[in-house]
Amino acid sequence: MTDELLEYGVYLALLVALAIPLSAYINKVMAGEKTVFTRVLVPVENVVYRCIRVDKNEDMGWKRYLVSALAFSAVSLAGLFAILMLQGLLPLNPEGLPGLSWDLAFNTAVSFVTNTNWQAYSGESALSYFSQALGLTVQNFVTPAVGIAVLFALFRGMVSEGHPGLGNFFVDVTRATLFVLIPLALVVTVVNVWQGSPQNINDYETVQLLEPVGVDEAGNIVDADDPAAVETIDQATVPMGPQASQVAIKQLGTNGGGYNGVNSASALENPTPLSNLIQCLSLLLIPVACVFSFGRFVADRRQGRAVFAAMFILLLAALVTIAVFEQMGTPQLAADGQVYMGLDGQSGGNMEGKETRFGVTDSSLWAAFTTAASNGSVNAMHDSFTPIGGMVPIILMALGEVVFGGVGCGLYGMLGFVILTVFIAGLMVGRTPEYLGKKISPKEMRMAVILCITTPLLILAGAGVMSFDPATVDSLNNPGMHGFSEVLYAATSAGGNNGSAFAGFNANTPLINMVLGLEMLANRFVPIVAVCVLAGSLCTRPKVATSAGTLSTSNAMFVFLLVLMVLLVGALTMFPALALGPVAEQLTMVL
Amino acid sequence: MKQARTWGSAALLFLVTTVLCGVLYTAACTGIAQLAFPYQANGSIIEVDGTKYGSELVGQQFSDDDHMWGRVMSPSTGTFTDAEGNDILWYGASNLSPAGDDFANAVQDRIDQIHAAHPEKGDEPIPSDLVTNSGSGFDPHISPAAAEYQVERLAKNTGKSVSEIRDIVERCTEQPQLGILGEARVNVLKVNLMLDGILQ
Repeated sequence: MTDELLEYGVYLALLVALAIPLSAYINKVMAGEKTVFTRVLVPVENVVYRCIRVDKNEDMGWKRYLVSALAFSAVSLAGLFAILMLQGLLPLNPEGLPGLSWDLAFNTAVSFVTNTNWQAYSGESALSYFSQALGLTVQNFVTPAVGIAVLFALFRGMVSEGHPGLGNFFVDVTRATLFVLIPLALVVTVVNVWQGSPQNINDYETVQLLEPVGVDEAGNIVDADDPAAVETIDQATVPMGPQASQVAIKQLGTNGGGYNGVNSASALENPTPLSNLIQCLSLLLIPVACVFSFGRFVADRRQGRAVFAAMFILLLAALVTIAVFEQMGTPQLAADGQVYMGLDGQSGGNMEGKETRFGVTDSSLWAAFTTAASNGSVNAMHDSFTPIGGMVPIILMALGEVVFGGVGCGLYGMLGFVILTVFIAGLMVGRTPEYLGKKISPKEMRMAVILCITTPLLILAGAGVMSFDPATVDSLNNPGMHGFSEVLYAATSAGGNNGSAFAGFNANTPLINMVLGLEMLANRFVPIVAVCVLAGSLCTRPKVATSAGTLSTSNAMFVFLLVLMVLLVGALTMFPALALGPVAEQLTMVL
Repeated sequence: MKQARTWGSAALLFLVTTVLCGVLYTAACTGIAQLAFPYQANGSIIEVDGTKYGSELVGQQFSDDDHMWGRVMSPSTGTFTDAEGNDILWYGASNLSPAGDDFANAVQDRIDQIHAAHPEKGDEPIPSDLVTNSGSGFDPHISPAAAEYQVERLAKNTGKSVSEIRDIVERCTEQPQLGILGEARVNVLKVNLMLDGILQ
């Protein structure tokens, strides 16, 4: 037991210890100041500006900044869609895989351009090396860079005193990619390969099975010497390809789309507990750093710490809940004492859908981190978590991905809640709402509310539409309440731009591809519009002096109010749906 | 005019990042990996006398009495075929709810199968990873408790002594990294290759 507790502690301590110095580095990079990579990378940076015809000193107002962000995303969407449709004609396709169907290509392109990485396809059997490396990996880099860019535009708006410029979108994206994401991804790739993850462009390996199996008439697997066997299979596949490099950035950029269908549960993507540590820290590293960057940027680190505290409390609560319920397991698994669930010589607990090398500890940590961040990669199958263990990830996503959340977007979502809290707290005590020395007017409030309720609205709409279609039943892997949880999880994952799944759910149907695709698009771009409007409005407001009447936004009381506000909005919108799925399943299980 | 310039820059940035993050980054990673860690970078394939017996990282299904059993697997065909069109085996997770009846039945079937093959164990509780599907569907490992549970059966069916079997298991066991990371685990394919005398 102490070993397990120690491991939880190591993960959390390392996360914070690495994020703090990274936050200082990110601020320097985004301000164009000198860093350790200046000599090597600034020449590259300047070449990029020349290639894309951008003047790096040009300052953009909020409209220009927004149009640039939307234009870049639209071009990326079209480009990736084309790559996926034309995959069969493109090079680097040793398995000879055909292009995707239009609805699957749409869903996949949207999914990667919105930093969701929902996977309606299975990577190793549906996508060529070209699509993986030149299509998906590129979006894995640029979508978090867009998140950082928009976040810094908001920061600039918050501290600006009347100056309308929010920075230059193209410069921000280039710097975030070159100085932050590429160096970190290289480090993570090397550790991954060292631990065992493949990185090549070879054909898939075919290996000899030690125990051949038979296949019967109906295609079921039987023993090789079974009389019903009509065919013997004595070979297995080992998928190859540039896996480690894609896995590194999928974690760092809160993307989450696995090279393989089973994502980081595959020992090829995540071979050892050490690779698991590095990848799991990568899930939250940049989102946590962004929070500290915020404190540094507004020159009041207590503001960053307060937001961090609120997020960390929610993360801890989620982690503890998942870990406790997964370690307890279920009566169905214990089978009246026939199965040993203890910790002696094994991880114990609910091992269904979990890998032996990770056990309950590493799997619980990952589940909490990946849904707190809008990452969505998995190292265990969430569909096979206990009812409550599987409900916590849904809640983390449904809160709007604001518990650290996606790179950039998590924090700007949370700042929406901060403004909402300031406003409501101000009403309660009869003070004018102010944040960081700026008055909050109705216009800012409207944008903050959009930030807070976009995710839950999209989730409920998406789950509703899918539940109306009788054909959705065919997509379910489990009957009854757990089946509804599968639908809810899919809608939540797309609506939160997370991308993880109750993976038994077959999401590759035209209707579901479209519904989830539209959800992902709206949840990515509605908030980006709101943030740019908010930044544009804030930067024109003059600073007002702090007085005795100003509500503190950095003390424990404010942290408490902020946590309460996040939970309140989440509970009010999601409780009925959760009651029908995981809560009902848990009650049925124990009663 | 400004609009057109913005869209132009956006399109150009898409092309530049495709070269930078798609081509150069992937090439750099592949180069470093192939130079520094060629065994891992090419899939950790166990090759003995020209035959490839599998990857250390991809489990196989074992049900023979003289082989160690791993996690429950659901192998399937149809995902991959070889150059001649023959089916090749591939695996997936069960994704069953551990609170459901389907799961309870699957677990009971597995328990009965294990009890039948291990009469010497009587009513001793079975380690939980031996009766469950893994996350990937091809987990290459099993816990030390699950390996120990099978030692007497393996001794009986392979003609080796219990201590010889324990020695093989020990050689295929990896401890938690740095003392605390992850779980101790036994590589099932390696154990079976040693039991068959293929791997020394």
